[in-house]
Amino acid sequence: MKFWSQLGEREQDLEVRVTGTHLDVDADGRALAADFVPLPGEEVFSLLIDGRVHEVSVEEKDGAILVTLHGQRHKVLVRHPLEKTLREVRHAGPAASGEVIESPIPGLVVALKVRVGDVVAKGQAVAVVEAMKMQNELTAQVGGTVSAIHVEEKKNVEAGTKLVSLT
Amino acid sequence: MKRVLIANRGEIAVRIIRTLRDLGLTSIAVYSDPDRAALHVLVADEAYRLGPGLARESYLSIPRVIEVARAARADAIHPGYGFLSENAEFAQAVQDAGMIFIGPSPSTIARLGNKLAAREIARAAGAPLVPGSPGPVADVAAASAAAKTIGYPLMLKAAAGGGGKGMRVLRSADDLGSAFELTRGEAKAAFGDDSVYLERFVERPRHVEAQILADAHGNVVFLGERDCSVQRRHQKVVEETPSPIFTPSIRAKFAEAAIAIARAANYVNAGTVEFIADPDGNFYFLEVNTRLQVEHPVTEMVTGLDLVAEQVKIADGQKLALPSASLAPRGASIECRIYAEDASRNFMPSAGEVTRLRLPAGPGIRTDAGVYQGFQVPIEYDPLIAKVVSWGEDRAQAVARIRRALEETVVEGLTSNVAFHRWLLARPEFILGDVHTGFLGESFTPDALKATPEAEEVALLAASLHAHARALSVRPVERGPSQWRYADRIASRER
Repeated sequence: MKFWSQLGEREQDLEVRVTGTHLDVDADGRALAADFVPLPGEEVFSLLIDGRVHEVSVEEKDGAILVTLHGQRHKVLVRHPLEKTLREVRHAGPAASGEVIESPIPGLVVALKVRVGDVVAKGQAVAVVEAMKMQNELTAQVGGTVSAIHVEEKKNVEAGTKLVSLT
Repeated sequence: MKRVLIANRGEIAVRIIRTLRDLGLTSIAVYSDPDRAALHVLVADEAYRLGPGLARESYLSIPRVIEVARAARADAIHPGYGFLSENAEFAQAVQDAGMIFIGPSPSTIARLGNKLAAREIARAAGAPLVPGSPGPVADVAAASAAAKTIGYPLMLKAAAGGGGKGMRVLRSADDLGSAFELTRGEAKAAFGDDSVYLERFVERPRHVEAQILADAHGNVVFLGERDCSVQRRHQKVVEETPSPIFTPSIRAKFAEAAIAIARAANYVNAGTVEFIADPDGNFYFLEVNTRLQVEHPVTEMVTGLDLVAEQVKIADGQKLALPSASLAPRGASIECRIYAEDASRNFMPSAGEVTRLRLPAGPGIRTDAGVYQGFQVPIEYDPLIAKVVSWGEDRAQAVARIRRALEETVVEGLTSNVAFHRWLLARPEFILGDVHTGFLGESFTPDALKATPEAEEVALLAASLHAHARALSVRPVERGPSQWRYADRIASRER
């Protein structure tokens, strides 16, 4: 599963794979072994990064994740990497049309915002998937005409499930 | 003496109750409404309500405290520090009600509570004094004349002042006019007495104080010094013993001066004689605190004594009978005051629920706390929530241990100064013991507490891993496979 996070000016691209009893993490190209375990009864986690011990409190607020580490609070925005790609595409000028929009995360399809045959502009919302109690609006990165809709509203999807195809 | 009421709250009330229980005495707590479930109420044998949260209707109300003490059939009252501890009228009221006041006599408190009277006692005892005006200065002209004789820089101080309030540094004659009126105004407002006096301002001063114990039979002992030079806005934050600048010969002169002052004041019970010292170890009398100090544990750590137990015995009329080893302190001790305050916002007090609390322990560490996890820290009172104290064979070990202890400490929910302490304890000036009372003012800026890149890295990672964990666990499945099985599937699919 991939994430793109921001803390002030800093950004991090992260890919997480569950491997047996720990997590294999690729953070900006660095391979790390992580373990993230909740402590009993609280939103507090023991985090091991390559064996180094950290303890963090985590709270979700207004779409951000507030991480308290050593008594200091950090506000982190965690997004889907697609949003980063989208940002890059916005700066990249015209691109070829046609794309398949997939759910970046496992979750519930809350809304489909397009029908087959609709013309979708770059950046236009096509679906909303709810996960982590957050509604994630999925937008067309390139744009095109809706050729197929692969899911229905109120259905659960997994990460990578095709939602909408554009040509 | 069988039943002792503690006219205080917070960590000091808890600390006193512990000793009373050790001594087999009944401990009686008192509380204001917001403190009904405070730690000192929970650990006492008995507890009675004083009144509403407002201190003057509860912990500062002499009639209420006396009334409750009478109803509770208390034999004695320990005032702790702050609140009514240095109030001669209260000490008198306790005696008039037929109870023992655990502290010096009302007349001693009254005399030493006036800084000018205290100076005269010290002068008569032959203790060194900072050059200053012989008495209060009535107006700017008199102040200006006195200032010429003493020399700048000067300190303008309220005669009835204390706790860092009502004092001002004057660098030159230009500062005098406005400072005079301001200080008088503050003195009037804070202490109801607008007399002010002048003193030479010692540059790069250290605050060093003597712990003394005196019984009603004329015995006075010196239990070593405490160096409290790390201060923010004239309030102590870290204290230690021995003073890093004291040599045995300085200490001997220091002990002699402190004992002479205690004798001259006919002092009975535990007391602290405060001095200001320059970096060469020249010291000058400041004032006498007629109570147990916040920082008394560092003295207990190196002497092995329980100062509250000694106070109780002295108040009970017993003779001082200290093991001789306690007069030759062993090792070094450092105390960090854990305040509910935001160091990055000019040490603004913070209040609210302590959502998480993990206090340090282990070799050479003592923790005195007045709160527990889940407790709502009221905004009405002092923001001191705990004291972490270390002991080591030498200063280096005491420093290493307190640094380790502060690394372990977790206080969340409200803002505490734990991160500030971690910064401070890592400063070379502190590690070398080369600090003075203006050190924090010169060296500390809120930037010092800014997150390090390493911390930000961990926070970024933690946030993403949290999102990952949530993504795995909130997958809406009805009686489906557990999240662990699901995690396996994710793993296999991604492999």
